[in-house]
This record gives sequence, C-alpha cells and structure tokens, in this order.
Amino acid sequence: MAVNTTTSIAAKSAQRARRRRINWVPYAFLAVPLLIYFVWVIGPTFYTFYLSVTDWDGVSRNPGYVGFANFQRLLNDDPVFWIALKNNLTWLGIFITLPLLLGLSLAMILNGQIRGDRAFKVSFYSPMVLSFVVIGLIFAWLYHPRSGLINSTLRALGVGPRDLPGWLADPNLAIYCIIAAAAWRQVGYVMLLYLAGLKNIDPSLLDAAQVDGANGWNLFRRIIFPLLMPVTVIVVVISVIDSLRAFDLVFIMTRGGPANASQVLANFMYIEAFNNYNMGYGAAIAVVLFLISLAFIITYLYRMLQEELEI
Amino acid sequence: MKKWIFPLLIILAMVLAACPAPAPTSAPAGEQAAPAAEEAAPAAEEAAPAAAEEAPAAGEGGVLVYNSYNSDPLPRAADEELVQMFQEKTGIKVEHSIVAHEDFKQAIRTYLTSDSPPDVLTWFAGNRARFFIDKGLIMDISDVWEREGWNESYPKGFRALSTVDGKQYFVPTSYYWWAIYYRPSIYQEVGLEPPTNWDELLNACDVLNEAGYIPFTIGTKFRWTAAAWFDYLNMRINGPEFHINLMLGKESYDDPRVKDVFAHWKQLLDHKCFVDNAAAYSWQEALDFMVQGDAASYLMGAFITDSFPDEMEEDLDFYQFPIINPDVPIGEDAPTDGYFAAANAPHPEEAKAFLAYVGGAESQTYFAKKVKRLATNSQVDPSIYTEPIQKGIKLIQSADYVAQFYDRDTTPEMADKGMNAMMAFWDNPDNIDSILADLEKERQRIFAESE
Repeated sequence: MAVNTTTSIAAKSAQRARRRRINWVPYAFLAVPLLIYFVWVIGPTFYTFYLSVTDWDGVSRNPGYVGFANFQRLLNDDPVFWIALKNNLTWLGIFITLPLLLGLSLAMILNGQIRGDRAFKVSFYSPMVLSFVVIGLIFAWLYHPRSGLINSTLRALGVGPRDLPGWLADPNLAIYCIIAAAAWRQVGYVMLLYLAGLKNIDPSLLDAAQVDGANGWNLFRRIIFPLLMPVTVIVVVISVIDSLRAFDLVFIMTRGGPANASQVLANFMYIEAFNNYNMGYGAAIAVVLFLISLAFIITYLYRMLQEELEI
Repeated sequence: MKKWIFPLLIILAMVLAACPAPAPTSAPAGEQAAPAAEEAAPAAEEAAPAAAEEAPAAGEGGVLVYNSYNSDPLPRAADEELVQMFQEKTGIKVEHSIVAHEDFKQAIRTYLTSDSPPDVLTWFAGNRARFFIDKGLIMDISDVWEREGWNESYPKGFRALSTVDGKQYFVPTSYYWWAIYYRPSIYQEVGLEPPTNWDELLNACDVLNEAGYIPFTIGTKFRWTAAAWFDYLNMRINGPEFHINLMLGKESYDDPRVKDVFAHWKQLLDHKCFVDNAAAYSWQEALDFMVQGDAASYLMGAFITDSFPDEMEEDLDFYQFPIINPDVPIGEDAPTDGYFAAANAPHPEEAKAFLAYVGGAESQTYFAKKVKRLATNSQVDPSIYTEPIQKGIKLIQSADYVAQFYDRDTTPEMADKGMNAMMAFWDNPDNIDSILADLEKERQRIFAESE
C-alpha cells in the first residue's frame, strides 16, 4: 500500500516534470543514496555472481575461473543442498499458513470490544521486539531435552523418560522446532497488519451486509476477508522473503544439525563460505537462493504493477 | 516514466531479497568483543605512566592490536592479565579484543585478509596455521625465535610445528591433553575401576547404566566432541600412523579399517554409553550432567577444569582412553595453542615484542599456573605444576605419537564433512556404509582440489 502511494506520487510528479522540462534537483538529491546503494548493494550482488563461477577460497589473490562447476556440484552431487532446499520450502509452507491463520484469528478477536484488548495486543506483538538471537536462546532452553520447560511439563504429566522427544536433537523434529520459534515471533506482526487492515474497512459496508442478512462466518468469508486481500498479499510476501532468508534461528539453535537435518540454504551458504572457506561454492548457493527469491518477487511485482496500471 | 518504475522496483526488491545472511552473525561476536575492548582501554591508561619509568626496547608508546579467542571465564581473565603485564613491561598500548571461540574461528579469514589486520592473533598450531602460512598471510618471525633463543629452549616437536620451509611463523605457548574425565565418587559407588581395555569399557557402561547413571555425557551440538571419540577409537584400533594418513587424505574413508572404527562405536551406542539427545547440547551444557552427578564421565580436553566448579574439583579425575588393540603404538590428542602475527600487520615491531613476551618463560609460567595448561617453553620450571598436571604430562610423554585433534589435523572442509558424517552415523548407525561412501567421495574431491 505504501508502495502504491509512492508510485502514484512519482507518476504524477513525473508528468509535471515533463510539462516543465526536466527538473534536475530531485535527481541530485537521489544521486547520493543511489551511489551508496550501488557501491554497497548492487555492486556486491554482481560480485557474488562473479564469485559463483570461481573457486575462490577467500584468501588467494586471484579467484580461478571454473565455469558452472559449482552449480553442477550443487545440483548433482550435493545431497545437503536438497535437504536445505526442502527445509526452506517446508519453512515457507508453514510460515505462510500458520502465522497468517493465527494472526488473522487474533486480529478478528481483538478487533471486537474486548476488555483489556490493548494488553493482549501488546503481549502478542512483543516477541517482534526481541532479536532472533534472544528468541533462539529462549527456545533452545524450552527445548532442552532434560531440564527444558516442555519436557519437564511432559514428565510431570507422566510421560516416561524414554518417550520424551529430543526436540532439537531429533533429526526428524529439529527443523519444525525452529520453524515454531520463528512462527511464534511472526504471529504478532501479522496480527498487527490485519488489525490495521480491519480498521480501514468502512463500518457502513459491514452494517449494510448485516442488514442484508450476512452474519458470522458468511460476513467474514464474503465481505471482510476479500476486503483484507491487500493485507494478505503483503503478509504472504513478507513470509516468503523471511522464510527464504531464514538464517539466524538455525545458526543459533542447531547450526543446521544434527547431521544437516535442519540445514537451510542461507546457513549452508554461510558454512561453505566462512567455515569451509569455499567462497566460490558459497556464492553459487547465494545465487541459487537469489534466483528462487527473484522468481517469487517478480511474480508479485508483476501482478501488483498490472493492477496499478489498470487503475 | 512508467517504464522506469518497474525495473527500479525489481532492483529494489532484488536487494531486499539478496541481503539476508551474514550481517546478523557478526553481531554476537561484536557484542562480546565490545566490552572486552572497553575493559582493555582503562587498563591501557593505567599502563601509560609505568612506561615512562622503564625504557622499553620496542617502540615506546606504540600501539598493538591483539585479537584472541579466550572467551571462557578463566582463560579470559588470564589473557587480560597477561596483556596488562605486557603493557606495564613495555609501555606498548594494547588494543585487546576477545571474541567468542566459535565466532573467532570463522572470522579469522576476514581479519587476516583485511587491509589493516590485527597485529597479533591467537590460533592453533599445525595444519590450521599452515593453511594461512602457505597463503603468505603470516609474518615470518624467525628473527624472534633466533633472538629469544627459542631454537634451544623449545622442544624439537614444537619447533617443527612452527616451522614451514625452514622459517618460523608461529609461537606455540601452551598445550593440553585429552583423557576420559570421571567422578571417582560415582565409580567408587558402583564399584568400578577406570577401564583399561575395550571389554572393561563396555562393562563400565553397563554397570553405570544399571545403577542409573549416564556412563558418558557428551554435547555434540558443535560436533567436535564426537570427533574426539573418532580420533581415539581410530588411534587405538588402527594406530596413529593410519590415523594421521587418513587426516592428510592419504587413506580412504571407506577403508575396512575405518568401518571397524564405526563398528566399535556402534557397540558403544548399543550399550547406551552416551547421554540421550547429545546433539541438543554444547559441550558446557553436557558438562552440567556431570556436575549435577547424573553422568559419570566425559571424554574431554584438560580445559574441562576451567568450567568445572572449583569446590568440586577434588571429585574430578581422569584416565587414559582404554587400549583396544595392544599391538599398535599409542597415540594421544594434545592440541597446541599459540600466537602468530599477520604478514601485513600495521605495527610489526610491537607485534614481535608481544610474541617474544608470550613465548618467554615469565608469561608461560604465569599462564600455566593460572589456567593449568602445559607450557611449551622448556625453561618453565616443571615444579610449578600441580599433581593432576604432572599426571597429564606423564600421559603425553608416554605416548608414541601426539596428534593435534581431528579438526586441526585435517583440512577445515574435510573436518566439516567428516564430523557431519559422524553425526549422521550417530542418528542412523546402520547406514554407516553409505555414509562412509559419501564421505569418501568428499575426501577425493577435497584433496584433489588442494593438490
């Protein structure tokens, strides 16, 4: 939405500029941030593309050109890549659905007149204030197999010591444990976005629908949810980007272990580049990650711009 | 104009997506480094007046940038004290940063390849140092060795460890031994003697399990604790020569001898020798079980005493890893730590003065007393060592071969893949054949590249 308004403002000022001949002042102001942007963001991005076709070890003066060997090894010979990709997609799937559903439900509940709704809103949103490092540590303690809160509770409920899950130590559970921590943080954020969306809905629309006999589920499904569509799109886009760049929690909680079971692409890239000193190979992983992100982003931008142009 | 907006937005979005990972990682390291730097600053001011009295040899009022990985409490205190002593002695102001151990290992490349690297860094002797030396990133300090008379006062083994092509690049300052640490009170309670061979080891696991104790605690979150078991099993079964050749990439991982190592390891798993869910713990977290009295033993380096509560140290002892094949020579892990200077250090003279100081008998005596490591300089009076340390010295001296450690003896990448394989084996011991076949493929690729 913010993007929409800026683009329309930009379009209008552009028309004005054409009428008045070109006004260079805005460009002069833009030049400085753009320069910084090119030097520190665009430049390194392209440098990463270049590194991905080399075997640079991070130290040698001259990276050796190896063509697409890094990509070949990544796609054909490296089982870890596929584990990481699968985990990223699992993350994506859960991350789009779970926080969205919970956040939307919370927003619907808290949007009504509830005593102490502010306190609830604050407490649901507060995890967002914590850094990933803190969240990772807190959840690692919760998951502690012997003295963590979860297993202590289970033990108190009478679960035998052999049946207690190992959580982060269990290769089948580790990735879900991490995603749960990430989703916990995200719910409040999504809730806040939806609350803002709900406030924007014209009450007379809802009144009219109620007069026409819509209520409860019908009202939500046919009227409210469609009106919230722009928010939903934003939530999905944020979730997609966040799940593809997932790194912090994995790094803090498991470092991708046990035996790569909770590996994600960003952490895999980090280990190859900075632990194994394969800068070229790490760059290749980064490029693949970039292309995957790009596919999602272009689809989104394309749709958004089409709508924009129609209006 | 509208045509402009689309590509512009794409670029914007690309960038949003492209800048995910590395930034946050440096944060924890930075956080830990920052207070250390602050602590160092007032210390430096105090040292300044002292400098006026003495006439230091190298650069009065000079500056030295020193990064170290001594992030555990005890070594950290000793490290800071050492810097203080150096400042008072020479008047050189030291900008000291302590970075968390694991983060330091990953950050060192950035340090060394930057245009103004730290002058002096802590690092590991052997292959890990050799990598940087071969790239020309480390300062040749043969003159320091010569001037300080270290060529005579250091045992030959340590000199060889610091030498590449006849020049010295490294100052080994301390080393420590690995052994099985245990709580004698628990062993006594269940009527156990420290095991000396394979059957006794398995029996110890059974007896301890029977009595409700965890025989061995281990935290494999960072994986290297498991590598210690691999090192020892391999050295005890196949001998140190095969082990070191495997580390150098000269033997293959799908060799039947390596499979035999994992077959033994599987017996340990079958006898429930290890704590459940080991992968959830760092090595310190796993130590808690031993402190609390749930676990009886831990295969660990001598630095275990740093983290073990002082008041309980009387109930902590160690024994040599049991002999499995009595026909092979005995190898022990004894990793050596030390210092080197960056090749393009901004303050080379101060760096050499610092290296000369940490390699000398005075600072090594201090460090050995305080942190209970073994000094490398033979001028250090051996009578300063307490009884447990004397026992550790005997353990190392009676060994036929001394290895550094899995992730120091082989290349970092091979160590990464190897330790992942150990973790995969830990979860699925029956898949060992395919795990080793994959690992062998990695070995061939990694060592083909490095040649």
